[in-house]
Amino acid sequence: MAGERVMVIGSGPAGLSATKELTNMGFNVILVERESYLGGTPKKLKYSLLFPELRPATEVIDPLVKSVQESKNVKFYMESIVEGAKEEGNGFVVNIKDKTGKVTSEKVNAIIAASGFEHFDSRRKYEYGYGIVPNIYQISDIERMLSENKLVTTKGTPPKRVAILLCVGSRDATVGNTYCSRVCCAVSVKQAMEIKERIPDAVVHIYYMDIRTYGLMEDKLYWKSQLEYRVGYIRGRISEFMRGPNDTVIIKGEDTMNLNRALVVPYDMVILANGMEVGLGSKQVAKALGLQFEEHGFIRPSDPDRLPVQSTRKGIFLAGALTGPKTISDSITEGYAAAMKAYEYVTKGIWDESSFGKAVEVVKH
Amino acid sequence: MFMGKKMATRSVLELPDDPRFMDMAYEEQGAVSEEERNLSSLKPEDRETAVKFWQAVKSDFRFDEYLRGCLNCGVCTSGCPAAKFYDFGPREMIQYMMRDEADKIWEFVNKKVWACVQCYTCSMRCPFNNEIAGLIMVLREYSVQFALESAKEILAPYRRVLYTVMTMGNQVTPDMIQPEAFPDWGPQAVEESKNMDVYRKSIPVDLMQRTDIGWHPSLQTAVEMMTIMFESGVMDSIKKVDPDLYDMIEDIYQDRKSQLEEIKEKWEKHELNENELPDSWLDL
Amino acid sequence: MSTEQEVNKKIEEGVKEAFPMADNVDWNEVYQRIIYRYSTPHGLQHVKEELYKLEDEGEIIVHHIKPYNNPVKMQSLNGTPKVIPTNKLWQHKSCGQCGHIPGYPTSVFWMMNKMEIDYMDEPHQTSCTGWNYHASGASNPVALAGVYVRNMWRAYEIDYYPLIHCGTSFGHYKEIRNMIVLHKEIRDKLRPIMRKMDMDIVVPEEVVHYSEWLYTMSKKAVQQKKYDLSKVNAAVHTPCHVYKLVPEDTIYDPDVFQGRRPAAPSGTVQNFGAKLVDYSTWWDCCGFGFRHILTEREFSRSFALFKKVIPAVEEGHADVFVTSDTGCVTTLDKSQWAGKAQGFNYNLPVLADAQFAAIAMGADPYTIAQIHWHATDVEGFLRKIGVPVDDYKEKFIQYLADIREGKTEPQYLYTPHRKIDFYLSVPERVKWYKGDKGANQKTS
Repeated sequence: MAGERVMVIGSGPAGLSATKELTNMGFNVILVERESYLGGTPKKLKYSLLFPELRPATEVIDPLVKSVQESKNVKFYMESIVEGAKEEGNGFVVNIKDKTGKVTSEKVNAIIAASGFEHFDSRRKYEYGYGIVPNIYQISDIERMLSENKLVTTKGTPPKRVAILLCVGSRDATVGNTYCSRVCCAVSVKQAMEIKERIPDAVVHIYYMDIRTYGLMEDKLYWKSQLEYRVGYIRGRISEFMRGPNDTVIIKGEDTMNLNRALVVPYDMVILANGMEVGLGSKQVAKALGLQFEEHGFIRPSDPDRLPVQSTRKGIFLAGALTGPKTISDSITEGYAAAMKAYEYVTKGIWDESSFGKAVEVVKH
Repeated sequence: MFMGKKMATRSVLELPDDPRFMDMAYEEQGAVSEEERNLSSLKPEDRETAVKFWQAVKSDFRFDEYLRGCLNCGVCTSGCPAAKFYDFGPREMIQYMMRDEADKIWEFVNKKVWACVQCYTCSMRCPFNNEIAGLIMVLREYSVQFALESAKEILAPYRRVLYTVMTMGNQVTPDMIQPEAFPDWGPQAVEESKNMDVYRKSIPVDLMQRTDIGWHPSLQTAVEMMTIMFESGVMDSIKKVDPDLYDMIEDIYQDRKSQLEEIKEKWEKHELNENELPDSWLDL
Repeated sequence: MSTEQEVNKKIEEGVKEAFPMADNVDWNEVYQRIIYRYSTPHGLQHVKEELYKLEDEGEIIVHHIKPYNNPVKMQSLNGTPKVIPTNKLWQHKSCGQCGHIPGYPTSVFWMMNKMEIDYMDEPHQTSCTGWNYHASGASNPVALAGVYVRNMWRAYEIDYYPLIHCGTSFGHYKEIRNMIVLHKEIRDKLRPIMRKMDMDIVVPEEVVHYSEWLYTMSKKAVQQKKYDLSKVNAAVHTPCHVYKLVPEDTIYDPDVFQGRRPAAPSGTVQNFGAKLVDYSTWWDCCGFGFRHILTEREFSRSFALFKKVIPAVEEGHADVFVTSDTGCVTTLDKSQWAGKAQGFNYNLPVLADAQFAAIAMGADPYTIAQIHWHATDVEGFLRKIGVPVDDYKEKFIQYLADIREGKTEPQYLYTPHRKIDFYLSVPERVKWYKGDKGANQKTS
């Protein structure tokens, strides 16, 4: 079966794993990546340790990158985006535009969209003053600071008091995101432990409404952080920040365990656990490929239960966080699944139909 | 010297009055539903009104739109100016509402509901999009409609504002700033009230030159305002809270309406001699 | 094929919703852009759609913004456009401003005269009753809607577009507008009442605050600036009812605090060349509290001083406090004197943005801005920016004396009303004031 070609859009954990599986099965892959490097968001933002095993992100991502890079059956389009996909024969002709504006066409049998997510931009939660008040960071900034071993405040010293705020840009109708981003609890607890590991005498508080270290992560993260690291958990959502003396940040909230009691607490560093959004990159991919959005703005699979990696357009498959918040391991799994579904489709023409969402939709407000 | 007689007999831990705190209360009460047991914390004479009040609030057309849900995050209370000064918090109210606690709502509406400053910070920030300050207004509206004691108390110093707004459609009068009533506003208030007449006359807009009204509305406008207030049922609730005020406004309404009708008729028939009218209809 | 087109259309809409004004922009630029997606329970878009639907069905009359209102497209919190009419305006005055800060509306009128803007100020307006309502609860939705629609009708019948002076009226009217549009039961109860007064339900397509108008006009207004404000540290208090009620219906501008705070009045102050200073409690309320300012003044005083004035001075080194609503000017201005007794002698001048702008454009601080109604040291601030306060004051004292003795008649910003206008609202009244040029009026 020479010459079977599948296009993979995005080279994050999902895209890399799909590429790897497809080449293993003997397919040629056209890999389109917006950035100049492979690895996706974990590389872009320089993730430090991954939860729940607390191992370096490079240990997980680098082998994937390496095997894809070394494969002879992958054609790379770096710093490029897809512009449109026209059906032709038993496949698509896809236009790819690079950063100079040059457009190239590629004919492929199927497409896997794995263009991922973007972190919520905390500047949109404007009462938090991210970007205006010093020493307020996002978890995505902290990952980089941890991996570069530069966790310091604006004064250049390691923070002695750290507050981590969950659900920034998630579970919040005021920014239009009413879903839970799933991973931020685990990432934050992991970061709290990493901080305590490096600065043992630091006070680390996590402000939460609910802690969602679901499944096997409960004791590996939530319990461990208390048992071994004495991370403090305070129930309540912070409503705003004030600039304190000496570049400290004063947070204000309600101590919801004590009715009507105010929390006004100074910290050296505040970390916002910013959630996940589909991001403009995936929106652009969806537009170019003619995919549909679901109610939260993510890309809609043709059936979220039965066919989670199959899109609403025949011949296009989905993998990773573009269909909703996901962990890295989930994304890798979806990469496998999408590769397998694409293989079936290209070699045997298998395309499952689903009645999901075909009924008349009633929009609720 | 601290060991007075009373102190000596008082134990460190006191038993709470509210039976809901005590698991042992089940011995006496049996396992009753929360809604039923809630009411037992109210005075017997209040129970019926409390339930009726809560039912009325719940059946208001805005209720389900304004109350959507609660994550118990406390953002409302932490941004709340009133919560910084009083034992008050919007989350408290939302929780009582979500849990159908008629007794707690009753307590809340008889006191705490008046602490809110209506800044709407809570409404703007609520991640669940509750219209919290709007819910406070619904409670306040119904407390006036039910003529609750707290509403009467609150409205008493507001009589003059109510009178002005109902009869002239304007809420404040310049001469309400009397130095005795506003000693904390300092010497400027004294100066202002001393020179009120000439200060007002020097304002370069004819509508704003009187001391007894913010701007001078037309007679027709005043009558229309009263029409809206009577027809929409606002005056019916005023009647329950302050019957004297109601009578006063009712008299004025009838007078002004007939004056207006007379003038209007003459104007339409081109029979009105404008020179015969006083400069202000307030002098009619 | 048609289903595919449908899908494409849906995606177009989805993308448009995410970045409304980004049809032809560079994607990389879009990645950088901050897009707010604030959503109130119903969404303003939905309310607007319903509004026009009701108009088509003949349920309500919509007062449209016309080309002769010189509309300017501004941007709201979500990046969606909000159209600000800038000419042919109906002044919806504020009761508190007219009663206690008369220099506030007169500054607006004066600037409009200066910029040759056509407006009507009439005795046929009532206040919005919002102050009374938020303080006491002594009203109901139908009455509130009636008051709103009656005022809007008076503007509609003479075809002048309503400009709301008071922040509370503005916020309150936005809510009432949504309520009228979304709730048939309110319209059904309201209609017979309006018919009794020979009116119908009329709803303007935008609710516009004067501070939005002033910000929109500020670049033009500043051409007539007379004093240099570059050494002025101005702290701004953005009034709660302007931007916290129906938050997505207030203008924002990327030039003002990166689009993270309402454009007005901060942007106006900025455009007039003053240095905008920041303080941590910028979003906090002023302490007015509607009822509190009259009967819980301990709260109002403490709040205004400790949560607003002191942070503005200590953190922002403010020379002046600029705000854009009735209650805020009153509370911030009057609450400072009592602090003296406790050793908090701040005396930070408080001005409305309209007064601030008018004075900068050369308005007389007494006859126009009426600063003698303020308790704080506004004169000191004016001296600092070079206004010859003492000359103005001397002239003003003489003017007052002349008025008192009947030696002179008051000067007016526009022709005083006829006697009949204080009795009836006759539809042809515009002709009398404006001649035939105001003649593109409705004869509905």
